[in-house]
Amino acid sequence: MTKSAKSISSIGSRELVTIKGIRSGLLFVLADDALFADVVEELKQKLTGSHQHLLSGATVNVYIECGMRELSSEEQEILREVFATHENLVLDGFDGPPPMREMGVKAPYVFKGTLRSGQLIEHDGDVIVIGDVNPGAQIIASGDIFVMGHLRGSAHAGAAGDVRAVVAAAYFEPLQVRIAQVVRRSPEAYDRPAEMEFAYLEGEQMAVEKMAVFTYHRQRRNRSRAVI
Amino acid sequence: MGEAIVVTSGKGGVGKTTSSANIGTALALLGKKVCLVDTDIGLRNLDVVMGLENRIIFDIVDVATGNCRVEQALIKDKRFEHLFLLAAAQTKDKLALSVDSMQMIVRKLKSQFDYIIIDCPAGIEHGFRVAITGADQAIVVTTPEQAAVRDADRVIGLLEAEKLPPAKLIINRIRPHMVKNGDMLDIDDIIGILSIDLLGIVPDDELVIKGANQGEPIVVKPDSKASLAYRNIARRILGDAVPLLSLQEEDGFFKRMRKLIGLR
Repeated sequence: MTKSAKSISSIGSRELVTIKGIRSGLLFVLADDALFADVVEELKQKLTGSHQHLLSGATVNVYIECGMRELSSEEQEILREVFATHENLVLDGFDGPPPMREMGVKAPYVFKGTLRSGQLIEHDGDVIVIGDVNPGAQIIASGDIFVMGHLRGSAHAGAAGDVRAVVAAAYFEPLQVRIAQVVRRSPEAYDRPAEMEFAYLEGEQMAVEKMAVFTYHRQRRNRSRAVI
Repeated sequence: MGEAIVVTSGKGGVGKTTSSANIGTALALLGKKVCLVDTDIGLRNLDVVMGLENRIIFDIVDVATGNCRVEQALIKDKRFEHLFLLAAAQTKDKLALSVDSMQMIVRKLKSQFDYIIIDCPAGIEHGFRVAITGADQAIVVTTPEQAAVRDADRVIGLLEAEKLPPAKLIINRIRPHMVKNGDMLDIDDIIGILSIDLLGIVPDDELVIKGANQGEPIVVKPDSKASLAYRNIARRILGDAVPLLSLQEEDGFFKRMRKLIGLR
């Protein structure tokens, strides 16, 4: 089986660019034993020609893996320009597929019911609560926190130091939110609960946004990380 | 076999003892055989509210330590044939009553009474653990204040962990005009946070304090709103569907009650 698959690929013209679907988007594997110009040529062809119908539509994250090849900054710039022609393809970086956490390997902890005063959920990973989190209750997660109900207690996302973690709730009125090392307490009074919002870190500051822009936020953040 | 109901709140001073006395008396008024049990060892009050302080000979710690039989320690109420009190000890402390002996006492009482109303001490420590052991049901009393609601929430969580059926809520000392002005937590807000079934609401009433000082539970006086509220609560415990008390001020109130009765 393996043998025949190998022989087929060696018979046909060798692919310099292989596109793989992974959990968090698309992985472009660029051959490291060919001329960079040839690889770019084939990439362009695939994006605009043969695979155009597959690569248009919904926004996806793109990851690049180039084996042994060390990309110079000029080469990186060339690749970035190639992907810039496709708005729905968001280039994440040049160091292969994202780390495990982003691929969601760690199982989230799902709690169903009311988390009451004095009760605590502590979990290494994401925490999802189907119900209310009352004042005096506490959630500590190394990943993100999602509350499908009223969040009135305290929530600490990214407790192990992940500044990319978020705290989201259907009714967002927490007493206190922490993300990594940053603490923010509630305003003195909520007029009425903010609906479908999430808190995230913007540098050292905590910001709150509508849930509707959550996906956009995640992608933007991935992109900014890639530039660094 | 009777049913043991524990009345608890977490926070002190929200009306556990008053509610225990009135619910027990109201159930007795409705013809049930009722025993009130005070588990607040060292700070007993239920006997005072019931006006039975001078009749205590043996108390619950005497029963637990084997000084006397349960029957000897039961104090018969002066007004009702079927109402009894098992008083707490005043000279001991909470540790004098263990979980095991409490379970034994409640089991014995359940064979003799229709309802056992257990008045729980404030707090969530040993005294609370002892009071809820052996109970089949729990009533959580709160008042429309943030601190009381917070503590009620904590207690509900602890009761859930004890595998008791979902607790029922009494909101005590509501002042209609303050709720109307938005100065007091609204009933819907409280239920929204605690998310348990409401057993009843009791308006703040000076007659309750007067009654407690005279050793007369308010339910024996039919002319007060708090009295009606406690009677309704007792009827709901028996399984009747009774509409919630209207908190509107006097003139609309009787009209509204008549309308509700007419509808049913």
